[in-house]
Amino acid sequence: MVALVIALALFFDFTNGFHDTANAMATPIATGAIKPKTAVTLAAILNLVGAFLSTEVAKTVSGGIIREGSDGIQITPDIIFAGLMGAILWNMITWLKGLPSSSSHALFGGLIGAAIAGIGFNSINLEGLLQKVILPAIFAPLIAGIVAYVCTRLAYLLTSRHDPETGSKLTQKRGGFRTGQIFTSSLVALAHGTNDAQKTMGIITLVLIAAGTQETGSGPQFWVIAACAFAIAIGTYAGGWRIIRTMGAGLTEVKPAQGFAAETSTASAILASSHLGFALSTTQVASGSVIGSGMGRRGTSVRWSMVGKIALGWLFTLPAAGLVGALTALLVKTGVIGVLIAAVAGTSAVLFMFFYSRKSAVGHHNAIEVEEAGQAVRFAKTKARARARAHAKAKAEADAKAAATRNAPLEAESDTVTTKDVQR
Amino acid sequence: MKWLELVTVAGATLASAVTVVVLYSLGVRLTAIAGDAQASPGFKKSLAYVCFGLCGVAVLFGLYLIIPYFSG
Repeated sequence: MVALVIALALFFDFTNGFHDTANAMATPIATGAIKPKTAVTLAAILNLVGAFLSTEVAKTVSGGIIREGSDGIQITPDIIFAGLMGAILWNMITWLKGLPSSSSHALFGGLIGAAIAGIGFNSINLEGLLQKVILPAIFAPLIAGIVAYVCTRLAYLLTSRHDPETGSKLTQKRGGFRTGQIFTSSLVALAHGTNDAQKTMGIITLVLIAAGTQETGSGPQFWVIAACAFAIAIGTYAGGWRIIRTMGAGLTEVKPAQGFAAETSTASAILASSHLGFALSTTQVASGSVIGSGMGRRGTSVRWSMVGKIALGWLFTLPAAGLVGALTALLVKTGVIGVLIAAVAGTSAVLFMFFYSRKSAVGHHNAIEVEEAGQAVRFAKTKARARARAHAKAKAEADAKAAATRNAPLEAESDTVTTKDVQR
Repeated sequence: MKWLELVTVAGATLASAVTVVVLYSLGVRLTAIAGDAQASPGFKKSLAYVCFGLCGVAVLFGLYLIIPYFSG
């Protein structure tokens, strides 16, 4: 069971990595600051470095949400197994849909659902839930959005130059922001590594402690740190291109100055929150920043329908992951067979989603540019379908006419007219 | 509820992001000015580099803050 949970935790780390590549690398890829392949490689390396840099967050994974310790309940590997299952499945679903959603919320949701089903409703600390998950979910995009808006306005204000006499525009060299983007996006990737790899380390350590192979209160062991760091780095390198497309081109068009402003706001929001103790989700901060910077530049429109979709995804993250977690917890309760069923079902669901995604693969070659091409193809397709339909209709009428001519030539004439109308 | 912490985080985010963006934007602007100016473009150019440098220092300070190895 312990080995199974560790494998599952590492896989969650992997999904976390490729789910969150977009946070750091979507905007520089969209503005052409970094080539897609280079971007994910850079992000992967920085995630790896970041994961090794700090292990402070590792212990605070579930603390405060599920009552644990002497007066509360003991978290068993079963609960963690069920929680991870919920988190992974929700991560895969949102990835398939190309929605940027918080991996940590998925993890929280899974654990909460598993705890409710496995132990009971009183195992949940509602105040902790409100404080750690729900309020940050509202404020993270809000803060990041406002800051990104202000920064974008400032960046354009400070770099706009007009000739005082003629009023014509002078060179502004806003392409210079591209160079800056390389650094700001690297900062976001590093911050992500210091934050998110920790969660998995914390979980594996929790399992090891629960199984009695590690002393209570000790930090993560080195092999755990290394495994988690590599899992998240490999995941990042694999790249969640679907989400990169959403973040880089789906929300708004990103220009270098906007990208720079958005990444700076994302990086500072994450750093400020992890340093000052009000944890914000990386994904939600990054999405808020992109939206804010989209509003900050004149002539840019934000695709609010996409924003709505993402918000809906966030709303469902907790209950959906919780539901899967709860179901898995119930299965696991039945014994070894239940565990096996859950493991097989989870694996097959993940495999199914993976192969389903192959049908319309989004890779580094088409993550951003494909947007227009995809629309064009779809447009052509509908057009072709309409033409085919008209053709079929015309043919059917021609057949009917051929049958009719034998009996009534006069009627056929009027039919020909209608056929022509259809063809036109 | 941790309203104070929320406000602190929001304030710190705004302050740091604005600092970096203003410095970098000034750098970009000065580069553009140096590109146009007939007289002493070298001076303006070096000013631009000072801005970029300050921006880099601000970012490094941020790194210094997140890496626990340094802070404590």
